[in-house]
Amino acid sequence: MEIDLSRIITISLFAATLRMTTPILLATLGGIFSSQTGIFHVGLEGLMDIGAFFAVVGSVKTGDPWGGLLYALIACTVTSLIFAFVHLELKANEIIVGLALNIFALGMTNYLLVEILGATGYYQSPLIKGFSEIQIPIIKDIPIVNQLLSGHFPLVYVAFIMVAVVYLVLYRTPFGFHIRAVGENIDAAKTVGINPKRIKYAGLLIAGFFCALGGTFLSLSYLNLYSVGMPAGRGWLALAAINFGLGRPVPALIACLIFGFADAFALRLQQFGLPSQIVLMLPYIVTIIALGGSAIRNEMRKRNASRMKASTATDAAA
Amino acid sequence: MMKIKLSFPSKDHIRRILAEVISQLLNYLIILIIGLAIGAVVIFFSGLDPFAAYAALWRGAFGSWYKVLDTLDRSTVLILSGLAAAVAFRTSVFNLGLEGQLYVGAMAAAIVGFSFTSLPKIIHIPLCLLAGIVAGGLWTIPVSYLRLRWKVPVMVPTLMLNYIGILLTEYLVAFPFKDSTATMSASPVLLETARLPKFIHGSQINIGFLIALAMVFIVYWFMFKTKIGYELRVVGFNPTFAASSGMPVKRSVFLAMLISGGLVGLGGATMIAGFFGRFMSSFSVGYGWDGMMISLLAQNNPIGVLPASLFYAALANGALTMQSQTGVNQNVVGMVKGAIMFFVTAQLFLTFFKGRILKWKST
Repeated sequence: MEIDLSRIITISLFAATLRMTTPILLATLGGIFSSQTGIFHVGLEGLMDIGAFFAVVGSVKTGDPWGGLLYALIACTVTSLIFAFVHLELKANEIIVGLALNIFALGMTNYLLVEILGATGYYQSPLIKGFSEIQIPIIKDIPIVNQLLSGHFPLVYVAFIMVAVVYLVLYRTPFGFHIRAVGENIDAAKTVGINPKRIKYAGLLIAGFFCALGGTFLSLSYLNLYSVGMPAGRGWLALAAINFGLGRPVPALIACLIFGFADAFALRLQQFGLPSQIVLMLPYIVTIIALGGSAIRNEMRKRNASRMKASTATDAAA
Repeated sequence: MMKIKLSFPSKDHIRRILAEVISQLLNYLIILIIGLAIGAVVIFFSGLDPFAAYAALWRGAFGSWYKVLDTLDRSTVLILSGLAAAVAFRTSVFNLGLEGQLYVGAMAAAIVGFSFTSLPKIIHIPLCLLAGIVAGGLWTIPVSYLRLRWKVPVMVPTLMLNYIGILLTEYLVAFPFKDSTATMSASPVLLETARLPKFIHGSQINIGFLIALAMVFIVYWFMFKTKIGYELRVVGFNPTFAASSGMPVKRSVFLAMLISGGLVGLGGATMIAGFFGRFMSSFSVGYGWDGMMISLLAQNNPIGVLPASLFYAALANGALTMQSQTGVNQNVVGMVKGAIMFFVTAQLFLTFFKGRILKWKST
């Protein structure tokens, strides 16, 4: 089987990369908030699933994609509140509550898909009103660049702008400082008068907010449909991205772009007649390699640092 | 063997144990009621009768002798998957890759089952199950390597291997091992010599269930009565202490992953050689995930896995009857399961009851 690489690696591949990065990036940004408060949020996948489902319900009921987004936001906020209550008030283990959230989301979307939309497995209908592409004024007239940057769906731009917003909030505002303080040392945060529980609530609710955006993007952009298990592991990829960037937004963005590229590349390869099962493994394999790579890098850095320390110590002694 | 020292427990001691047991039972009861109540509310709002639905659920799970046997049969894979999770979680290794390990184990068992001709049953069946164990165990090795060599936490890589494992097996039955006579993506049918024998006339239940039952006690014995099992538990409880007292922490983590993958791989093998008779893509309806939930429900105790698996199997079988008899969508059960999990590690009810009981006994 011969595949012409020049036909695969094109501008539209990079445009598709931005598109495939978007849902992972949104979930990642949300997860960064909860992970910075010290909560390892395993429920991102389930939250995105709930977001994607209620976005479709809202879009059908209101006839407007923004109505869909509103439904998704409400659903994810309520779910995040339950999560926060069970974890913070009832002191249940966060990982187990997160797993429970995923199981619950699967059961609920399966059930409500039948009850509300009368479909099993997936729902597709002209009644679902999706977002439309935005043409950006000046940029849309520049050749090549317009193919890459213009004509995306609104949430794509939101996601990338949000990286900067999240960075500023985390590192340039008192609220961000409180969040990081709680994650770093909860007792120290308490002694300076921060209420850790309130901060953790905020972190979880923000995670819910971003997952609602991510879920809405999945079901109301490009393909206007909902199918069971729609996030297909993107919530978990987000955890990998957070892990990769140690909770910082910019390195996490890089990880998301890598995963998004793998996703886009896989879709492209599929069009060339490779077995879809093999091609679809690609993003997951890339994730494992990326995690391994970043761990090796961290290890090396640590080793170099200790070697440096040792050599300066001997210098000092000499 | 260790000498057993007999000493009379003090009154206070007995009271504490009693308080523990009673509060645990009450805790489970309340969690169960909350879960079922949430399900009932959902059923009610869809305009159907929750009591009729739950009655049908009960009939579907335990309504007749054959229903009971079906529930036991369904519990086979859940027990093995629950034990797999229990071994890993006890060692504090969050192996979230059970679903992938299940598929890979099932696939290996299927390949052995349909390709080795003219083997006697007595060799073919164990070979088939062994293939499942080995494949499930091997599937954990990349993760263990990353964890032990480069300190990558196991959670995300095991999850990624779920997707990879499921896609890989899907590929295998779509292309190299596809049975062209089958309507869906499926492997050829297993040879008769590889099928697990059934032992009760008229029921699907097969020796897989007995194997699972035996594994409950073997895993319990291993975890609580052997030196290696003791090390696993200490590593799970406090790795720093385990390391400073000279225990092989790395080996324990590696073993926990390996055993975990092997057990759930065996579960996959029993499904293929017992129930289905061939590998079909997406045959598992989340048995690996259920296993984790079962283990958590059992507080990661191998003996507790047995009742928890039976409970899950009853829910699964009952749901089918509930749907066919009362029209209540069977996915309600998924919500009930999720709701139960939400509360299962919540300490609130437990500490509340324990405090009450201790007070009540001492006055």
